[in-house]
Amino acid sequence: MPKLNQFKVEIETGEKGTALPVHFTINNHKLALEETGGGVGPGETFTGGFEIRSFAHSLTLVGPETGQWDIRKIKVEFDCEDNPPYSAVFGELTLDETTEVNIWQDPPLPTWDV
Amino acid sequence: MSVIKKLSQMFSGSSSQEKEAVETSGGSDQPAEPKNSFADQPPVQRRVIQPAVLIEQAEAVGPSDQILIKAEPSRDNGQCKFMVNRPLFEGHSWLFSNFEEAAESPLAEALFSVDSVETVLVHDSTLVVTKTGAKGLPDWEALAKLVGGALRKLLEAGTDLMAKDLIDRIPAEEVVRDEIQKVIDTEVNPGVAGHGGRITLTTVTGNTVTIEMGGGCQGCSAADLTLKQGIHSAFRKAVPYVGAIYDETDHAGGLNPYYR
Repeated sequence: MPKLNQFKVEIETGEKGTALPVHFTINNHKLALEETGGGVGPGETFTGGFEIRSFAHSLTLVGPETGQWDIRKIKVEFDCEDNPPYSAVFGELTLDETTEVNIWQDPPLPTWDV
Repeated sequence: MSVIKKLSQMFSGSSSQEKEAVETSGGSDQPAEPKNSFADQPPVQRRVIQPAVLIEQAEAVGPSDQILIKAEPSRDNGQCKFMVNRPLFEGHSWLFSNFEEAAESPLAEALFSVDSVETVLVHDSTLVVTKTGAKGLPDWEALAKLVGGALRKLLEAGTDLMAKDLIDRIPAEEVVRDEIQKVIDTEVNPGVAGHGGRITLTTVTGNTVTIEMGGGCQGCSAADLTLKQGIHSAFRKAVPYVGAIYDETDHAGGLNPYYR
């Protein structure tokens, strides 16, 4: 797996919002997102990120401590060592106090014509 | 102070004084429990959801009058997938483990004549080639050109790619399903049960098999080893006409995958 230098996340909230701060886990360590902007209320868009500089075995976005959080879309931009920057877009889901969502995507494999 | 003690304190959140107090309290029948210990506050175990990916990579090869072959080496560099815009073995799959098995299959014969090719798996319009030696060597860029060239030459000539009797050797889907299920029930699952694991047969298409790894196997860091050295070997030994074997397990999902 590649070394994840940093990632940025953009989250579009659906009908049910939640409260800040937004937490993520890297290899099961829970942290708050940094350099945040926007909001996580209904219909709002939140942005944040983190400088990881380590190897990502798992990367998840953590659900709220109480209530539900409807997410319309999550876009994650990855900056990994020895790889060009890439991004992943995930679809609708609902998080709560019992769930977290996997937002890690391996860099795309190189392909070429032969 | 040992590293283990330091780590233990880091995780328990207790101070060194508290630890010392615990350590020196030996002798009493019931040693004092440290405050705020890791055991007092177990971490909330959350279920990991695997979200739908909205933007996937573009289709590798599209329809075209020209023969298009795209090479995609695996992440560990041990194998390379070749995606072709022509059928190679429609509706079925076949693994050629060595040159002898390639007899009368022009495609496999041509590929085994390329230096360093170890095994060849043909499935519909896809070819998966593994190479001999260390995973890093030789470079796929050079080898893929040779494999692609050999494949293109056969496709342009319009000759048969696979031995004519291969299809006759593959029984009906129901037979493949029953035989694979029997191997899972009698051999594979009793083997992985010791680790709390279980294997489920999800689909059989032609002679192509898809399984799912559950219990202790799901998310286990040794799942790939179990799949390739345990399950593949057992399937192929008992059901020699089985073709491609895929694992569709979501190893990142669930409550607590081992590798997390």
